[in-house]
Amino acid sequence: MRRRARPLLGTLVDVAVASAPAHVDADAAIDAAFAAVALTHRLMSFHEVGSDVSRLNRAPADTVVAVDPHTWQVLALAQQLCAASGGVFNIACAPRLVEWDCLPAPDLARPAWAQQTAVFALEEGGRVRKLAAGWVDLGGIAKGYAVDLAVAALRAAGVKGGCVNAGGDLRVFGPHAFPIAVRNPSAPAHAGAHLELRDEALATSACCFSAREVGGRRVSALVDGRSGEPLDTAASSSVFAPACALADALTKVVAATGDPGHPALATVGARALIM
Amino acid sequence: MRAPVCLTLLAAAPASAFATDYLTADQAQRLMFPDATSFRAQDLALDSAQMKQVEQLAALPARSVHWHVIAAYKADALLGWMVLDNVVGKFELISYAVGLNLDASIKQVEVLSYRESHGGEVRNPAWRRQFVGKRAPAGLSVGDGIANISGATLSCTHLTDGVRRIAAIAQVALKK
Repeated sequence: MRRRARPLLGTLVDVAVASAPAHVDADAAIDAAFAAVALTHRLMSFHEVGSDVSRLNRAPADTVVAVDPHTWQVLALAQQLCAASGGVFNIACAPRLVEWDCLPAPDLARPAWAQQTAVFALEEGGRVRKLAAGWVDLGGIAKGYAVDLAVAALRAAGVKGGCVNAGGDLRVFGPHAFPIAVRNPSAPAHAGAHLELRDEALATSACCFSAREVGGRRVSALVDGRSGEPLDTAASSSVFAPACALADALTKVVAATGDPGHPALATVGARALIM
Repeated sequence: MRAPVCLTLLAAAPASAFATDYLTADQAQRLMFPDATSFRAQDLALDSAQMKQVEQLAALPARSVHWHVIAAYKADALLGWMVLDNVVGKFELISYAVGLNLDASIKQVEVLSYRESHGGEVRNPAWRRQFVGKRAPAGLSVGDGIANISGATLSCTHLTDGVRRIAAIAQVALKK
Protein backbone atom coordinates (compact mmCIF):
# COMPACT_ATOMS: atom_id res chain seq x y z
CA MET A 1 0.00 0.00 0.00
CA ARG A 2 1.27 3.46 -0.91
CA ARG A 3 -0.37 6.26 1.03
CA ARG A 4 0.39 9.98 0.79
CA ALA A 5 -1.21 13.17 2.08
CA ARG A 6 -1.15 16.85 1.16
CA PRO A 7 -2.84 20.00 2.44
CA LEU A 8 -5.57 20.81 -0.11
CA LEU A 9 -9.15 22.15 0.09
CA GLY A 10 -8.29 23.66 3.48
CA THR A 11 -7.84 20.22 4.98
CA LEU A 12 -5.63 17.18 4.74
CA VAL A 13 -6.22 15.06 1.63
CA ASP A 14 -5.07 11.45 1.98
CA VAL A 15 -4.70 9.19 -1.09
CA ALA A 16 -4.01 5.46 -0.77
CA VAL A 17 -3.25 2.96 -3.51
CA ALA A 18 -4.00 -0.52 -2.15
CA SER A 19 -3.72 -2.62 -5.28
CA ALA A 20 -2.35 -1.94 -8.72
CA PRO A 21 -0.78 -4.09 -11.45
CA ALA A 22 3.03 -4.14 -11.43
CA HIS A 23 3.30 -1.79 -14.42
CA VAL A 24 1.33 0.97 -12.68
CA ASP A 25 3.43 3.70 -11.05
CA ALA A 26 1.54 4.23 -7.78
CA ASP A 27 3.21 7.59 -7.11
CA ALA A 28 2.34 8.92 -10.56
CA ALA A 29 -1.27 7.78 -10.00
CA ILE A 30 -1.35 9.53 -6.61
CA ASP A 31 0.09 12.69 -8.20
CA ALA A 32 -2.77 12.60 -10.73
CA ALA A 33 -5.28 12.19 -7.90
CA PHE A 34 -3.83 15.21 -6.05
CA ALA A 35 -3.94 17.19 -9.31
CA ALA A 36 -7.67 16.40 -9.62
CA VAL A 37 -8.27 17.68 -6.09
CA ALA A 38 -6.22 20.80 -6.77
CA LEU A 39 -8.25 21.45 -9.94
CA THR A 40 -11.49 21.26 -7.95
CA HIS A 41 -10.01 23.70 -5.45
CA ARG A 42 -9.03 26.19 -8.17
CA LEU A 43 -12.45 26.04 -9.82
CA MET A 44 -14.74 25.91 -6.80
CA SER A 45 -13.01 27.68 -3.91
CA PHE A 46 -14.99 30.47 -2.26
CA HIS A 47 -11.69 32.06 -1.20
CA GLU A 48 -9.81 32.10 -4.53
CA VAL A 49 -10.55 35.32 -6.39
CA GLY A 50 -10.27 33.69 -9.83
CA SER A 51 -12.40 30.61 -9.16
CA ASP A 52 -15.65 29.97 -11.05
CA VAL A 53 -17.50 30.33 -7.75
CA SER A 54 -15.94 33.75 -7.05
CA ARG A 55 -16.74 34.96 -10.54
CA LEU A 56 -20.31 33.80 -10.16
CA ASN A 57 -20.59 35.46 -6.74
CA ARG A 58 -19.32 38.80 -8.01
CA ALA A 59 -21.46 38.70 -11.16
CA PRO A 60 -24.37 41.16 -11.17
CA ALA A 61 -27.95 39.93 -11.51
CA ASP A 62 -29.12 39.16 -15.07
CA THR A 63 -25.66 38.29 -16.35
CA VAL A 64 -24.35 34.98 -17.63
CA VAL A 65 -21.11 33.42 -16.41
CA ALA A 66 -19.28 30.68 -18.34
CA VAL A 67 -17.89 28.03 -15.99
CA ASP A 68 -15.81 24.88 -16.30
CA PRO A 69 -17.82 21.69 -17.05
CA HIS A 70 -16.84 20.35 -13.60
CA THR A 71 -18.27 23.42 -11.85
CA TRP A 72 -21.41 23.22 -13.97
CA GLN A 73 -21.83 19.57 -13.04
CA VAL A 74 -21.50 20.31 -9.30
CA LEU A 75 -24.01 23.17 -9.59
CA ALA A 76 -26.38 20.81 -11.43
CA LEU A 77 -26.04 18.21 -8.69
CA ALA A 78 -26.65 20.93 -6.09
CA GLN A 79 -29.88 21.88 -7.89
CA GLN A 80 -30.97 18.24 -7.97
CA LEU A 81 -30.29 17.76 -4.25
CA CYS A 82 -31.91 21.08 -3.34
CA ALA A 83 -35.09 19.91 -5.09
CA ALA A 84 -34.94 16.40 -3.59
CA SER A 85 -34.49 17.81 -0.08
CA GLY A 86 -37.16 20.50 -0.30
CA GLY A 87 -34.54 23.25 -0.02
CA VAL A 88 -32.72 21.86 3.03
CA PHE A 89 -29.61 21.55 0.88
CA ASN A 90 -28.96 25.11 -0.20
CA ILE A 91 -25.60 26.36 -1.47
CA ALA A 92 -26.69 30.03 -1.28
CA CYS A 93 -26.32 30.29 2.52
CA ALA A 94 -22.84 31.81 2.17
CA PRO A 95 -23.93 35.33 3.30
CA ARG A 96 -24.72 33.83 6.71
CA LEU A 97 -21.32 32.08 6.85
CA VAL A 98 -19.63 35.39 5.99
CA GLU A 99 -21.67 37.11 8.73
CA TRP A 100 -20.47 34.47 11.21
CA ASP A 101 -16.86 34.78 10.06
CA CYS A 102 -16.78 31.22 8.73
CA LEU A 103 -15.98 32.57 5.24
CA PRO A 104 -14.30 35.78 4.00
CA ALA A 105 -16.50 38.30 2.15
CA PRO A 106 -15.89 38.07 -1.63
CA ASP A 107 -16.63 41.80 -2.13
CA LEU A 108 -18.24 44.76 -0.48
CA ALA A 109 -21.79 43.76 -1.40
CA ARG A 110 -23.72 42.15 1.42
CA PRO A 111 -26.44 40.11 -0.28
CA ALA A 112 -29.00 38.36 1.89
CA TRP A 113 -28.96 34.57 2.07
CA ALA A 114 -31.54 33.12 -0.29
CA GLN A 115 -32.75 29.89 -1.78
CA GLN A 116 -30.21 28.84 -4.41
CA THR A 117 -32.91 28.53 -7.09
CA ALA A 118 -33.51 32.29 -6.68
CA VAL A 119 -29.80 33.08 -7.09
CA PHE A 120 -28.81 31.18 -10.23
CA ALA A 121 -30.12 28.99 -13.04
CA LEU A 122 -28.16 26.64 -15.26
CA GLU A 123 -28.11 27.12 -19.00
CA GLU A 124 -26.80 24.95 -21.81
CA GLY A 125 -23.17 25.15 -22.87
CA GLY A 126 -21.62 25.37 -19.42
CA ARG A 127 -23.26 28.69 -18.63
CA VAL A 128 -24.82 29.91 -15.42
CA ARG A 129 -27.32 32.76 -15.25
CA LYS A 130 -27.15 34.90 -12.13
CA LEU A 131 -30.76 35.66 -11.28
CA ALA A 132 -30.29 37.86 -8.22
CA ALA A 133 -27.56 39.16 -5.92
CA GLY A 134 -26.29 36.30 -3.78
CA TRP A 135 -23.28 34.23 -2.86
CA VAL A 136 -22.96 30.51 -3.40
CA ASP A 137 -20.49 28.33 -1.55
CA LEU A 138 -19.75 24.80 -2.70
CA GLY A 139 -18.08 23.92 0.62
CA GLY A 140 -20.86 21.44 1.31
CA ILE A 141 -20.40 19.38 -1.85
CA ALA A 142 -17.11 20.18 -3.64
CA LYS A 143 -14.90 18.22 -1.26
CA GLY A 144 -16.93 15.14 -2.10
CA TYR A 145 -16.74 15.93 -5.81
CA ALA A 146 -12.95 16.35 -5.52
CA VAL A 147 -12.77 12.88 -3.95
CA ASP A 148 -14.79 11.43 -6.84
CA LEU A 149 -12.49 13.09 -9.39
CA ALA A 150 -9.42 11.81 -7.55
CA VAL A 151 -10.84 8.26 -7.56
CA ALA A 152 -11.49 8.59 -11.31
CA ALA A 153 -7.86 9.73 -11.79
CA LEU A 154 -6.53 6.73 -9.85
CA ARG A 155 -8.68 4.36 -11.90
CA ALA A 156 -7.63 5.99 -15.15
CA ALA A 157 -4.01 5.43 -14.11
CA GLY A 158 -4.72 1.70 -13.74
CA VAL A 159 -5.14 1.48 -9.96
CA LYS A 160 -7.50 -1.34 -9.01
CA GLY A 161 -8.21 -0.48 -5.39
CA GLY A 162 -7.67 2.48 -3.14
CA CYS A 163 -9.06 5.20 -0.93
CA VAL A 164 -9.24 8.98 -1.12
CA ASN A 165 -10.06 10.92 2.05
CA ALA A 166 -10.50 14.71 1.99
CA GLY A 167 -10.67 15.60 5.66
CA GLY A 168 -13.29 13.00 6.50
CA ASP A 169 -15.20 12.86 3.21
CA LEU A 170 -13.89 9.69 1.67
CA ARG A 171 -14.44 7.03 -0.96
CA VAL A 172 -13.00 3.58 -1.31
CA PHE A 173 -12.97 1.50 -4.49
CA GLY A 174 -11.83 -1.91 -5.62
CA PRO A 175 -11.94 -5.35 -4.07
CA HIS A 176 -10.64 -4.37 -0.61
CA ALA A 177 -12.62 -3.45 2.44
CA PHE A 178 -11.04 -0.44 4.20
CA PRO A 179 -11.16 0.09 7.95
CA ILE A 180 -12.77 3.44 8.78
CA ALA A 181 -13.08 5.16 12.14
CA VAL A 182 -15.92 7.64 12.60
CA ARG A 183 -15.14 10.39 15.08
CA ASN A 184 -17.14 10.53 18.26
CA PRO A 185 -18.76 14.00 18.00
CA SER A 186 -18.59 14.56 21.75
CA ALA A 187 -14.93 13.46 21.94
CA PRO A 188 -13.62 14.06 18.40
CA ALA A 189 -10.13 12.67 19.04
CA HIS A 190 -11.74 9.28 19.73
CA ALA A 191 -13.47 6.86 17.42
CA GLY A 192 -17.19 6.57 18.07
CA ALA A 193 -17.51 3.70 15.63
CA HIS A 194 -15.32 1.43 13.56
CA LEU A 195 -16.58 0.05 10.29
CA GLU A 196 -15.42 -1.42 7.04
CA LEU A 197 -16.21 0.19 3.74
CA ARG A 198 -16.08 -1.42 0.30
CA ASP A 199 -16.70 0.34 -3.03
CA GLU A 200 -18.63 3.15 -1.43
CA ALA A 201 -18.32 6.75 -0.23
CA LEU A 202 -18.80 8.02 3.30
CA ALA A 203 -18.99 11.61 4.52
CA THR A 204 -19.66 13.01 7.96
CA SER A 205 -20.81 16.43 9.13
CA ALA A 206 -20.81 17.71 12.69
CA CYS A 207 -20.52 21.07 14.40
CA CYS A 208 -17.78 19.99 16.80
CA PHE A 209 -14.90 21.76 15.01
CA SER A 210 -16.72 24.85 13.75
CA ALA A 211 -19.21 25.78 16.51
CA ARG A 212 -18.48 29.04 18.31
CA GLU A 213 -20.08 32.18 19.74
CA VAL A 214 -20.58 35.18 17.46
CA GLY A 215 -22.31 38.21 19.00
CA GLY A 216 -23.53 36.14 21.93
CA ARG A 217 -25.04 33.56 19.61
CA ARG A 218 -23.86 30.03 18.93
CA VAL A 219 -23.10 29.45 15.24
CA SER A 220 -21.41 26.78 13.16
CA ALA A 221 -20.42 26.15 9.58
CA LEU A 222 -23.59 24.05 9.15
CA VAL A 223 -26.74 25.90 8.12
CA ASP A 224 -30.33 24.80 7.66
CA GLY A 225 -30.94 25.78 4.03
CA ARG A 226 -34.64 26.39 4.63
CA SER A 227 -34.25 28.99 7.40
CA GLY A 228 -30.63 30.17 7.07
CA GLU A 229 -30.24 29.35 10.77
CA PRO A 230 -27.07 27.71 12.14
CA LEU A 231 -27.25 24.12 13.28
CA ASP A 232 -26.14 23.56 16.83
CA THR A 233 -26.36 19.84 17.26
CA ALA A 234 -24.15 17.61 19.36
CA ALA A 235 -24.72 14.76 16.89
CA SER A 236 -22.72 13.87 13.83
CA SER A 237 -24.39 12.81 10.60
CA SER A 238 -22.74 10.31 8.31
CA VAL A 239 -24.00 9.34 4.88
CA PHE A 240 -23.00 6.33 2.79
CA ALA A 241 -23.53 6.80 -0.95
CA PRO A 242 -22.27 5.51 -4.31
CA ALA A 243 -20.40 8.80 -4.88
CA CYS A 244 -18.70 11.12 -2.41
CA ALA A 245 -20.32 14.32 -3.75
CA LEU A 246 -23.69 12.76 -2.88
CA ALA A 247 -22.53 11.62 0.55
CA ASP A 248 -20.98 15.03 1.31
CA ALA A 249 -24.09 17.00 0.32
CA LEU A 250 -26.58 14.68 1.98
CA THR A 251 -24.86 14.89 5.38
CA LYS A 252 -26.19 18.48 5.50
CA VAL A 253 -29.73 17.27 4.84
CA VAL A 254 -29.52 14.61 7.55
CA ALA A 255 -27.87 17.04 10.01
CA ALA A 256 -30.52 19.72 9.45
CA THR A 257 -33.52 17.41 9.60
CA GLY A 258 -32.19 14.89 12.13
CA ASP A 259 -33.81 12.30 9.87
CA PRO A 260 -31.59 9.33 8.92
CA GLY A 261 -34.43 8.12 6.68
CA HIS A 262 -34.88 11.39 4.78
CA PRO A 263 -36.47 10.62 1.38
CA ALA A 264 -33.68 12.46 -0.49
CA LEU A 265 -31.31 9.63 0.50
CA ALA A 266 -33.22 6.90 -1.29
CA THR A 267 -33.36 8.92 -4.54
CA VAL A 268 -29.59 8.37 -4.96
CA GLY A 269 -29.12 5.04 -3.19
CA ALA A 270 -27.69 6.54 0.02
CA ARG A 271 -28.21 5.71 3.68
CA ALA A 272 -27.36 7.53 6.89
CA LEU A 273 -26.03 7.06 10.38
CA ILE A 274 -26.55 9.61 13.15
CA MET A 275 -24.22 9.35 16.10
CA MET B 1 -30.03 -2.63 -1.67
CA ARG B 2 -26.91 -2.91 0.42
CA ALA B 3 -26.66 -4.69 3.73
CA PRO B 4 -27.23 -2.51 6.76
CA VAL B 5 -24.20 -0.72 8.14
CA CYS B 6 -22.20 -3.05 10.32
CA LEU B 7 -20.81 -1.11 13.26
CA THR B 8 -18.74 -1.68 16.29
CA LEU B 9 -19.84 0.99 18.72
CA LEU B 10 -17.26 1.86 21.29
CA ALA B 11 -18.81 2.84 24.59
CA ALA B 12 -16.19 5.02 26.31
CA ALA B 13 -13.44 2.69 25.11
CA PRO B 14 -9.97 4.23 25.46
CA ALA B 15 -9.40 4.23 21.71
CA SER B 16 -5.83 4.92 20.71
CA ALA B 17 -5.07 8.25 19.13
CA PHE B 18 -5.43 8.44 15.36
CA ALA B 19 -2.10 8.22 13.63
CA THR B 20 -0.76 7.56 10.15
CA ASP B 21 2.76 7.35 8.76
CA TYR B 22 2.84 8.31 5.12
CA LEU B 23 6.43 8.66 4.00
CA THR B 24 9.82 8.62 5.62
CA ALA B 25 12.06 11.63 4.99
CA ASP B 26 14.14 9.42 2.68
CA GLN B 27 11.12 8.42 0.64
CA ALA B 28 9.96 12.04 0.42
CA GLN B 29 13.32 13.34 -0.83
CA ARG B 30 13.51 10.63 -3.50
CA LEU B 31 9.94 11.40 -4.58
CA MET B 32 10.66 15.13 -4.81
CA PHE B 33 14.05 14.80 -6.52
CA PRO B 34 14.00 11.57 -8.53
CA ASP B 35 17.11 12.66 -10.49
CA ALA B 36 19.23 13.32 -7.41
CA THR B 37 22.31 11.19 -6.85
CA SER B 38 23.04 12.47 -3.34
CA PHE B 39 21.37 14.30 -0.48
CA ARG B 40 23.21 16.38 2.11
CA ALA B 41 21.65 17.49 5.37
CA GLN B 42 22.46 21.02 6.45
CA ASP B 43 21.48 23.01 9.50
CA LEU B 44 20.16 26.38 8.43
CA ALA B 45 20.43 29.09 11.07
CA LEU B 46 18.61 32.36 10.38
CA ASP B 47 20.14 35.60 11.65
CA SER B 48 17.93 38.28 13.13
CA ALA B 49 17.69 40.27 9.88
CA GLN B 50 16.58 37.11 8.04
CA MET B 51 14.05 36.34 10.77
CA LYS B 52 12.52 39.80 10.24
CA GLN B 53 12.41 39.33 6.46
CA VAL B 54 10.72 35.93 6.84
CA GLU B 55 8.11 37.47 9.12
CA GLN B 56 7.44 40.24 6.61
CA LEU B 57 7.18 37.89 3.64
CA ALA B 58 5.06 35.23 5.32
CA ALA B 59 3.09 37.57 7.61
CA LEU B 60 3.71 34.96 10.31
CA PRO B 61 6.14 34.67 13.22
CA ALA B 62 9.40 33.10 11.97
CA ARG B 63 9.05 30.74 14.97
CA SER B 64 12.50 29.16 14.87
CA VAL B 65 16.11 30.11 14.17
CA HIS B 66 17.20 26.60 13.17
CA TRP B 67 15.76 24.69 10.23
CA HIS B 68 16.41 21.17 9.03
CA VAL B 69 17.30 21.41 5.35
CA ILE B 70 18.35 18.63 2.98
CA ALA B 71 20.05 19.69 -0.25
CA ALA B 72 19.55 17.48 -3.32
CA TYR B 73 22.40 17.09 -5.82
CA LYS B 74 22.87 15.44 -9.18
CA ALA B 75 26.61 14.81 -9.12
CA ASP B 76 27.90 18.28 -8.10
CA ALA B 77 24.91 20.23 -9.37
CA LEU B 78 22.47 21.48 -6.73
CA LEU B 79 18.86 20.62 -7.73
CA GLY B 80 16.94 22.11 -4.81
CA TRP B 81 16.15 21.54 -1.16
CA MET B 82 13.72 19.76 1.09
CA VAL B 83 12.86 21.41 4.42
CA LEU B 84 11.46 19.29 7.26
CA ASP B 85 9.11 20.71 9.87
CA ASN B 86 6.34 19.86 12.35
CA VAL B 87 3.19 21.80 13.08
CA VAL B 88 0.86 21.46 16.02
CA GLY B 89 -2.87 21.91 15.59
CA LYS B 90 -5.88 21.58 17.83
CA PHE B 91 -4.93 18.06 18.87
CA GLU B 92 -2.80 16.91 15.97
CA LEU B 93 0.89 16.94 15.19
CA ILE B 94 1.83 16.91 11.51
CA SER B 95 5.36 16.22 10.27
CA TYR B 96 5.82 17.38 6.71
CA ALA B 97 8.38 18.16 4.06
CA VAL B 98 8.47 20.99 1.55
CA GLY B 99 10.46 20.50 -1.66
CA LEU B 100 11.90 23.72 -3.10
CA ASN B 101 13.35 24.62 -6.49
CA LEU B 102 16.52 26.69 -6.84
CA ASP B 103 14.45 29.84 -7.41
CA ALA B 104 12.74 29.19 -4.01
CA SER B 105 9.42 28.24 -5.59
CA ILE B 106 7.60 25.31 -4.02
CA LYS B 107 8.12 22.07 -5.90
CA GLN B 108 6.08 19.71 -3.75
CA VAL B 109 4.57 19.32 -0.28
CA GLU B 110 4.32 15.89 1.33
CA VAL B 111 2.95 15.00 4.75
CA LEU B 112 5.26 12.50 6.47
CA SER B 113 3.16 11.63 9.47
CA TYR B 114 -0.02 12.63 11.24
CA ARG B 115 -0.66 12.09 14.93
CA GLU B 116 -3.69 12.93 17.02
CA SER B 117 -3.79 12.86 20.72
CA HIS B 118 -6.69 13.09 23.09
CA GLY B 119 -4.45 14.07 25.98
CA GLY B 120 -2.12 17.01 26.42
CA GLU B 121 0.83 15.21 24.81
CA VAL B 122 0.56 17.01 21.51
CA ARG B 123 1.81 20.24 23.12
CA ASN B 124 4.62 18.44 24.92
CA PRO B 125 7.94 18.85 23.03
CA ALA B 126 9.30 15.48 24.21
CA TRP B 127 6.23 13.68 22.89
CA ARG B 128 6.56 15.53 19.59
CA ARG B 129 10.28 14.82 19.21
CA GLN B 130 9.78 11.07 19.22
CA PHE B 131 8.01 11.29 15.85
CA VAL B 132 10.45 13.55 14.04
CA GLY B 133 12.17 11.71 11.23
CA LYS B 134 10.48 8.53 12.41
CA ARG B 135 10.59 5.51 10.15
CA ALA B 136 7.88 2.91 9.91
CA PRO B 137 8.65 -0.17 11.99
CA ALA B 138 10.49 -2.94 10.15
CA GLY B 139 8.20 -5.33 8.32
CA LEU B 140 5.31 -2.90 8.25
CA SER B 141 4.87 -0.89 5.11
CA VAL B 142 3.83 2.68 5.62
CA GLY B 143 0.08 3.22 5.69
CA ASP B 144 -0.87 -0.43 6.20
CA GLY B 145 -3.96 -1.30 8.17
CA ILE B 146 -4.46 2.17 9.55
CA ALA B 147 -8.02 3.38 9.53
CA ASN B 148 -9.12 6.44 7.66
CA ILE B 149 -11.08 8.89 9.76
CA SER B 150 -14.49 10.27 8.87
CA GLY B 151 -15.77 13.20 10.90
CA ALA B 152 -16.32 16.93 10.89
CA THR B 153 -13.66 18.53 8.70
CA LEU B 154 -10.59 19.55 10.66
CA SER B 155 -8.99 22.53 8.98
CA CYS B 156 -5.23 22.47 8.45
CA THR B 157 -4.56 26.20 8.51
CA HIS B 158 -1.47 25.65 10.67
CA LEU B 159 -0.05 23.34 7.98
CA THR B 160 -0.68 25.78 5.11
CA ASP B 161 0.85 28.52 7.31
CA GLY B 162 3.86 26.27 7.88
CA VAL B 163 4.32 25.79 4.14
CA ARG B 164 4.08 29.55 3.61
CA ARG B 165 6.71 30.16 6.29
CA ILE B 166 9.11 27.70 4.65
CA ALA B 167 8.54 29.32 1.25
CA ALA B 168 9.55 32.64 2.82
CA ILE B 169 12.62 31.09 4.47
CA ALA B 170 13.68 29.69 1.09
CA GLN B 171 13.24 33.11 -0.47
CA VAL B 172 15.36 34.79 2.22
CA ALA B 173 18.02 32.21 3.01
CA LEU B 174 18.24 29.50 0.32
CA LYS B 175 17.47 31.00 -3.09
CA LYS B 176 20.36 30.95 -5.58
